[in-house]
Order: sequence, then structure tokens, then C-alpha cells
Amino acid sequence: MSDPKSVITLLHGAGGAYMHNLIKEYFLQLYDGFGEVGLDVLDDAAVINGVVFTTDSYTVRPIFFKGGDIGRLAVSGTVNDIAMMGGDPIALSLAIVMEEGFPKSDLARIVESIKKTAEEANVHIVTGDTKVMEKNALDKIVINTSGIGVASEELKHNFNVLRKNRNVKHEWLVPMNIRDGDKIIVSGTIGDHAIAILSSREGVGFESNIQSDVTPLNKMMKTVLEVGGVADAKDPTRGGLADLLNDWAEKSGLGIYIRESEIPVKEEVSSAIEFLGLDLLELGNEGKAVLAVSPEMARDVLEALRSTPWGKDANIIGEVRKDIEGVILETVIGGKRLVTRPTGDPVPRIC
Amino acid sequence: MMEYSYRIIISGIVQGVGFRPFIYRIATKANVKGYVRNLGGSEVEVRIEGNKEGIAEFMRLLFSKLPPVAEIEEIKIEESEFESFNDFKILASGNEIRTPSQIPPDFAVCDECMKEVLDPNNPRRYKYAFNSCAYCGPRFSMMYKLPYDRENTSMKHFPLCDECKHEYYDPNNERRFDAQGISCNRDGPRLYLETIDGEKVNGDPIELTAKIINEGYIVAVKGIGGFHIAANPFDDDVVLKLRERKNRPQQPFAVMALNLDIIEKYTYISSIERSLLTSPQRPIVLLKKREPYQLSKHISPGLDREGFFLYYTPLHYLLLSNVKNNILIMTSGNKHGFPMCISEECVKKKLKDVVDYVLYHNREIANRVDDSVVRVSSGRIMMLRRSRGYAPTWIRLKRKVKEPIVAVGAELQNVGALAFDDKVVLTQYIGDTDELETLNELDKALSLLISWYNIKPKVIIADKNPAYQSTYLAHKLAERFSADLVQIQHHYAHILSVSADYGYEEGVGIAIDGIGYGDDGNGWGGEIIKFDRERYERKYHLKYIPYVGGDVNALKPERMLALFLSTFMNWDEIRRIVSLGDRELEILEKISKRSTLFTSSTGRVLDAVSAFLGICKYRTYEGEPAMKLEASARGGKILDSLEIPIVGEEIDTTVIFKWLLQNRDKPINDLAITVQYKLGESLVKASLKLNPERILVSGGAAVNEYILKGIIDNSEGVEVLTPRRIPAGDGGIALGQSYYLTFF
Ligand SMILES: [Fe+3]
Ligand SMILES: [Mg+2]
Ligand SMILES: [Zn+2]
Ligand SMILES: [Zn+2]
Repeated sequence: MSDPKSVITLLHGAGGAYMHNLIKEYFLQLYDGFGEVGLDVLDDAAVINGVVFTTDSYTVRPIFFKGGDIGRLAVSGTVNDIAMMGGDPIALSLAIVMEEGFPKSDLARIVESIKKTAEEANVHIVTGDTKVMEKNALDKIVINTSGIGVASEELKHNFNVLRKNRNVKHEWLVPMNIRDGDKIIVSGTIGDHAIAILSSREGVGFESNIQSDVTPLNKMMKTVLEVGGVADAKDPTRGGLADLLNDWAEKSGLGIYIRESEIPVKEEVSSAIEFLGLDLLELGNEGKAVLAVSPEMARDVLEALRSTPWGKDANIIGEVRKDIEGVILETVIGGKRLVTRPTGDPVPRIC
Repeated sequence: MMEYSYRIIISGIVQGVGFRPFIYRIATKANVKGYVRNLGGSEVEVRIEGNKEGIAEFMRLLFSKLPPVAEIEEIKIEESEFESFNDFKILASGNEIRTPSQIPPDFAVCDECMKEVLDPNNPRRYKYAFNSCAYCGPRFSMMYKLPYDRENTSMKHFPLCDECKHEYYDPNNERRFDAQGISCNRDGPRLYLETIDGEKVNGDPIELTAKIINEGYIVAVKGIGGFHIAANPFDDDVVLKLRERKNRPQQPFAVMALNLDIIEKYTYISSIERSLLTSPQRPIVLLKKREPYQLSKHISPGLDREGFFLYYTPLHYLLLSNVKNNILIMTSGNKHGFPMCISEECVKKKLKDVVDYVLYHNREIANRVDDSVVRVSSGRIMMLRRSRGYAPTWIRLKRKVKEPIVAVGAELQNVGALAFDDKVVLTQYIGDTDELETLNELDKALSLLISWYNIKPKVIIADKNPAYQSTYLAHKLAERFSADLVQIQHHYAHILSVSADYGYEEGVGIAIDGIGYGDDGNGWGGEIIKFDRERYERKYHLKYIPYVGGDVNALKPERMLALFLSTFMNWDEIRRIVSLGDRELEILEKISKRSTLFTSSTGRVLDAVSAFLGICKYRTYEGEPAMKLEASARGGKILDSLEIPIVGEEIDTTVIFKWLLQNRDKPINDLAITVQYKLGESLVKASLKLNPERILVSGGAAVNEYILKGIIDNSEGVEVLTPRRIPAGDGGIALGQSYYLTFF
């Protein structure tokens, strides 16, 4: 691999420490103070005049995988970015860049999937763009979706509930709302998407029944906000729980303590990652949310989550603690280790 | 008559070990006048005036009658102006002390003290479990701060009785004058026996403890630097019960005995081993078992050595003399993977499911100090764990660091260091810092040294491995002290640790190890490095083998075997040799072809061979497959049909497995010894291509008797150096890291 110090490498796109530093070094300077939630927060979306706005580009190999495809991913990802800000997604743009020679039949499948997923999420595709590049200029197809959403009644209710026990400055789901004692809830099993992609990938391709969890979560989020008491929500996509929780710890200035035994994970995912030498906390998900919820409301929020089809396996995995630094994982055998942002391939540590 | 006047500066372990009263005594005996006093920097100043005979006698006594635990590193003698002293005095150290001195380590009880404990006519010390004198007893483990004065130790809660006071102030009392830790049964700490649930047991605590151990109970025993877990070593059921409770299926337990004769019943002891066993440091020594082995075979399953040590406190002695056959399992009192308990509270919390009773005393343990472990391989002393008795005495370099530094070591079995001038103060053994609680112990131990020596580190040095938690600590320390952070490759640090030990600045190093983070991101561990001060070049290494999955391969020797075989064999054949699950094999087959991670680890070669020979298929403790492979080579003969070739810059270890496949019918011990010996031979042959003046060997596998023999036998007269004062394993890394910074 080329040197990540001098050129952009795949590491910079992996959603870990490298990407984080890249954004800070190059893109943060673009912030000029604009927006209720602006570029400086480096969150899933921005908020301007009450409108949630976000954009994301999607590449995935293979483009059709167990449990989904790049089209479903492109809609879900952007819908979820809006939903994790507390917004109600309304409309999406759709920009597609294809490689010369891309089969029309594949494009048809993708568009069909986009349509179906948009209906599921109750969002409208309202504008778009298409480009074609010469062979090998990109890997088959890249999709960009941008989206807008607005604040809902449920979001207001959520903050009314949250305000009973704390000062709330931001009426959006941002890490600055997180406080000592908040419970950390994940909405379901972790790692499904990453393992499904790996097992679908040619060259790796091992037998697995694991399906990607790719799905829009705006309806689930609505149910949760109806209960109220949610300080922040975020989806653990690239970089997984490890990156997400470090992000929260950093932006809230508080520590986060989680218990491995409480993290929902499918048996087959857990054996696969053992064999593959992967870290569960670093695996990407496309249909899960992590919530920081006030301790008073955590049980109710958990119950509400579990009542939805997307949150059946939801669980409280830990809490926010001001007496610790960074993110600490209590392992199954009772040990503790630091969780850091992923740095790329796993590094051997054991002598 | 001609008179002479000298000033003598002695440095080493000469403070807190009864050195000044000793000087006073020999000066008086030799009839010379003058004084003795402590200086800073672990130096003692002696002024003497007298006639030729007197001076000569003084010198003779100085070198021949040195107190047992004192150690002279350096002695400077110069003629001095006459001051016409009237007598010989012990002068107070006063404010002269500016440079910091050594922190005295913990020593085993001396013979004189034991005589008192066994003397029924000595009412103050008979059966007294805490007897000590200037020459023996705990020091570092009970110190809260420097200097080593009673009020700075946990003995401050035990004011001296009148008789002890008398001894303390009497300069003629060589063993107790100014001895900070002394006590007697009138004023000293007390023993208590309780059930793990906190129910007091009345009666003689030691006799009762011995009785319940004989009955098969497991007891936590508070010692000097922490708790041991004591159990009957003869009873299989007890040992298995302990294994299950401690969640430690295979890792050997140490055994403590009352005397050498007892140890000799079960093992062979060489003269070097004998002197290690009886030294004031009293380390655990790994001794070759005598077959048929009379102790429970579950104490050290699959190994041909057993870790033995002698009692090192009167408490141990009294306990041992009351138990059956005067021998006990004395393993460290910790929960698997966690630091050893040093308080009753810890035992009650963390060992509540492990022990039945707790024998404790009311002297607080200020610093955790684990037992040290050594072994002898190919006639060389190999330190495996440098802790009680050795730490935190410093190691002096032949070079200096320009600014004070802190080295955080590696990760497993870790040790850190504070270095200033030409001194490297290694911490006591800390443990596996991949556990956060243990990482905090490293932080604590380093912070303690920093505050005791009142030194602000300017540079923090860590391993290059970004996944080590110690690297994270290094970042934190760098921030805390506004210090620079430097990182160094693991195996270069291994080689530099040996160089530091001998004072060399260049040479060729063989680093044979588990896994360390390589400069190319791969898992190194079988490296031949040519170095000159801060520069090094990796010249040869063991062949790169796919290491897909990373750490899981270290836990599963069979998986490693499959990866070795996959370099020349198809997977259908591999399936017939290894017994991994189908799904794991399927995944392994798929991903191994596109591996981006490779290893040149020696440990993994030994693991895979161990798996091939059916010796160890799953690792439950660090080094287990390799240690069991070494054990199973006993009595084997070296076969000449194996030659491990050097191809380009790679030593082709896959040849080992091709050879093993062709020689499956041969006895296991022949195969095991041959592989290890020939690996050593091949490593040294590659090194010799570099025309080295000397070859330095380090890394965890350097303690392997047969690899080391393969290296030494075939070095063609080139000197082969192995570390003497520090472990070849990762416990020595912090010394190499410190030494590296002397070159800048
Ligand atoms: Fe090492
Ligand atoms: Mg959010
Ligand atoms: Zn003594
Ligand atoms: Zn006394």
C-alpha cells in the first residue's frame, strides 16, 4: 500500500483515524460559521434554517450483496443521516456515475431497488444527474444522494422530555447534548452488513447466511422520539461502534464505558470475525442506530425500540461516564481495554 | 611509623543494606580512624587514616566480609590530606544528598535472622514471622517514598519497643544498627487467619494454615510484595480444583520448598542453579524435573521444568515446616490476566471463588512486587522475570541519556523504565498491559519513580506498534510532561537491550521472538539485524508466511500450521492434517490467498511445529506451544537430514514442514530437538554472512535451550551474547528503548 502520509490511500476512506485527520486537516477550514448545526460539528448532516441537509457518495463491492445492493444503500444511508440528526427526511437527489460498459440490466435492478427503498422510507427522489466515465476510471458505479428533512413534532417532544433533567442548547440530535450517566443503546445486532459484504466478495466468498442490515431507519427513529429523552443518535457505518463512540467521547468531552457481553451480535457473525481476526467494534452497519439516552428514559426508549421491526434486538450496552477518559470496553471475561478509532487492517499485538 | 590517609568512594547497592555499620565495624577492627557517610547517587564516602597494616586489613575485610546483599559497582580510592581523626564515626548524611540513590529492593530473610526465629531461647524473635535485619527483609515493597527511612515505610505503624530501639541505636550491632525495617514479636506486625467470608479462625495462624492446606484447602497467603495462593502440591484433586477456580488450565504453578534437599528430590540442580536458588533475591528457578515426577503432574503439565523457589520470609519458613513434606504450591494471588492482589480487600473481592481461607498480616504492601523468575539455558542464566530482589535497582549504561526519559516497554509481560544519566531504573514486573487495569499499574509504577527521583522526563519512548495500549500511555505521558514521543521498532529494541547490558554499540543481532510490529507493518519475530548505534538494517528474516486473521493465529497453533502448509500444499491435503473446524478452514482457505499481513515470527514456527507433533493445539498462556515443544525434545537426538536453507534474505522455514511430513515415523523427541537446533544453526549461519564481531541474541525464544545451542555450537568462534541482567523477552524492551536514546 502507498504511504498514507503523502498520498490518499484507501485508509483515508475507511472511516477511522485516517479519515478523521484528513477531514480536520483539509475540510474543516471551509467552515465559516454558517448553519444552526454547521460543518464544524462534523456530524451526519447540517441544519440550515430548520432544514436538515446531507450528502453521501456510495461505492460498494460487490454492488449486489446478500440482503441488499448499492441502490438500497444509497437511499438508506442518506435517509439515516437525516434521521440521526432528528430530522424527518422528505426528498433526495440522485446522481449516478457509471463506468463505460455497465450492464443496463444491472442499472435497472438498482433503480428498482432505489424506488422500493424510497417508498419504504416515504421519501421522494426529486432531482438527479447521470455521468459515464471511460472503462476502469471507476469501479462499475458510484451513486451520490443528497437529502433534506425537517424537524418533526416528535423531535420537539423528545427535547421537552430531555429538558426535564438537563439544559438543552441544541434542539437537534448532536453530541453536545450528551451528559454523564446517559445510557448507550444499540438498536440491533452489530456487524451483519460488514460480514455479508465480505462473504459476498469474490476471492473471500465464504458460505454465510448473514444478510446485510441495510435499511432506512427514519420510522424507527420517529417511534423513539415519540417516547423522548434521546440526547443523540448516530449510525455506526464505516468505522463501526469504535469510531462512533470515540466521536461521541471526543465531542462530549466525556468517557464512554461499554460491556462486550451486552452488545447484540449474531452467532455466525461472531464466529466469522473470530476466524477472520476482525474486531466487532470496527465493523460497519447500514441499518443500526446508536442512541445516547437520559438514564430516566432509557428503559422506555429500549422498549419502544424493541417494539419496532428494526429494533427487536436492541440493548443497552453501556453508559457515559465523566470519571473515565475515552472509550473503555469491558470484555466478556471481565477485563478492560481501550477502544480507539480504527486505523485500518488489524495489527498483530499478541506476542 | 608511616601513616596513610585515604578517601574511598564506593557506589552500588551500599545504602539501606547495613553498609555503614559494616564499615564502622571493620574500621574499628582494623584500627583505622576516620568516618563513613552516605552521599547521593548511591555512593558511600569512607575516610580512613592509619598505618600500613591497618589500611591493608581494612581493605581485606572490605572485600572479604561484604554484607550479603551489598553490591559494589565501582570503587574509587584516592590519597587525601591528613585530618588526624581520633576515632572512627558514622556521620549523618545531612544535606549532602543531592543526586538520587538506588531504591533498595526486597531481600530474602538471612540465615542469622532465621537462627533467631528457630531459637526457643530468643523470646523476642522465636517463631517471629517478620524477623529482619540490615541484611535482609522487605524494602521497596513497603516504601511509600524516599529516602528509605522507617517513617517512609509501612513499618511506621509499628513503633520500636525498647529492646529494638536499643539495637537500632547501637553502632556495634552490625545487623540492627540504623536498620529501618526491624521489629520483634513485641512491636511488629501480626498474623490473622480468616475464611474467605471474613470469619476469624482462632489459634496459631501458621499452624492452622498448614493444617487446612494439608486437608486440601486453598489459602491466600500475604507475603512481601503481594499474595500467594498456597495449596498442596501432591494432591491431583487440589491442583485441578485450583486450576479450575483460577481459570488457568495449563500454565505452570510455582512451588516453594523449605530447603535445597527437598527441591533436589524432585529436580536436578546445577551449581549455578543452586546459587540462584539461595541468593538473597530468591527467584523462582525453572529446574529440570526428575522422572518419575513425584509431585502432581498437573502443576506444570507438558513441561520438563518446574519453577521452584526457597522460602524467603520467616513466615514462609514456619508455614513450610508445618506442612506435609515441607513443600507448597505458591502461585501468585491474582485473577487470570489481572495484577496480583496486595490487599485483603482485593483478595476478598477478586479471589473469593479461588481461595477458601486468607492468611494475612497488618503490614501494608506499598508496592506490588511479583516473584522473579530465572532459568539456565545452555549454561547461561536467563532472566525470565526481573522483579522481587532485583527491581527497582538500576542498571548502569556505558553511555548516558542526554535528558531524562521514560520508556513504556512493549505490551505483554511488560516492564517500563525511567532513565537519567547513565542509569536505567526498570520498574518491577508489571504484567500484560493489554489489560487496562494493568496499564494503569505501569502508569503508577512509572509515576512513582518519577516522583521519587524528582525527575521530569523530556522524552517518552514507546514501541512502534500502534495497537499497544502502552503506546497510548506513552501519548498520555508525553502530554502530561510536555515531552517528545519517540517510537522504536520492537526487535531493534530487543537487540539494543543486550547491547546495553554489555555496553556494545554495534554488532549483529538475532531477534527470535513471538510477534513485534515490523517497519513494513508485518508481524516480525525472526530477524537478523545489523546495527550501528541508532541505525539498523534488517538483513535476513524467517520466511514470510500469510498471517490472515492476525492475533487469532497466536492462540491457535493448528491454524498457524495450516498457514505454513498452505505455502506448498493444497487445502484438501491440509484438511487431513489439521483438525480445525470446517467453517474456519473454509474461511482460512479463501482469505489466506489474498493475505495482506505476513509474519516472520519464530514463535509461530515453533507453535506450528508443536501443533504438527500433536504437542499443543491451543494456547492457554503465552509461549505454551513453544515451551511444550522444548520440553518434548528431552532426550532426543539431532537428525542431520534437516537443513533449513537461506534463500535470498529469507530463511525458508517451510522446509521444516516438508521435512516433518517425510519423517513422521521418527520419535517425537528427535523431531522436536532437530527442528529447534537446526533453526538456531540456520539463524547463526545467516548472521555469519555479515562477518560480525559479535552476535547478540534476544527475544522471547532466546531462552529456548536448543535454538540457543544451535546458535552457539555453530557460531564458528564468534562470541554469542545473551542478556544477563534483563529478560530476553519483552521484560527487557524498556532497557533497549532507553539505550536507543543515548545515541541522540
Ligand atoms: Fe518481543
Ligand atoms: Mg446525531
Ligand atoms: Zn536478617
Ligand atoms: Zn521490638
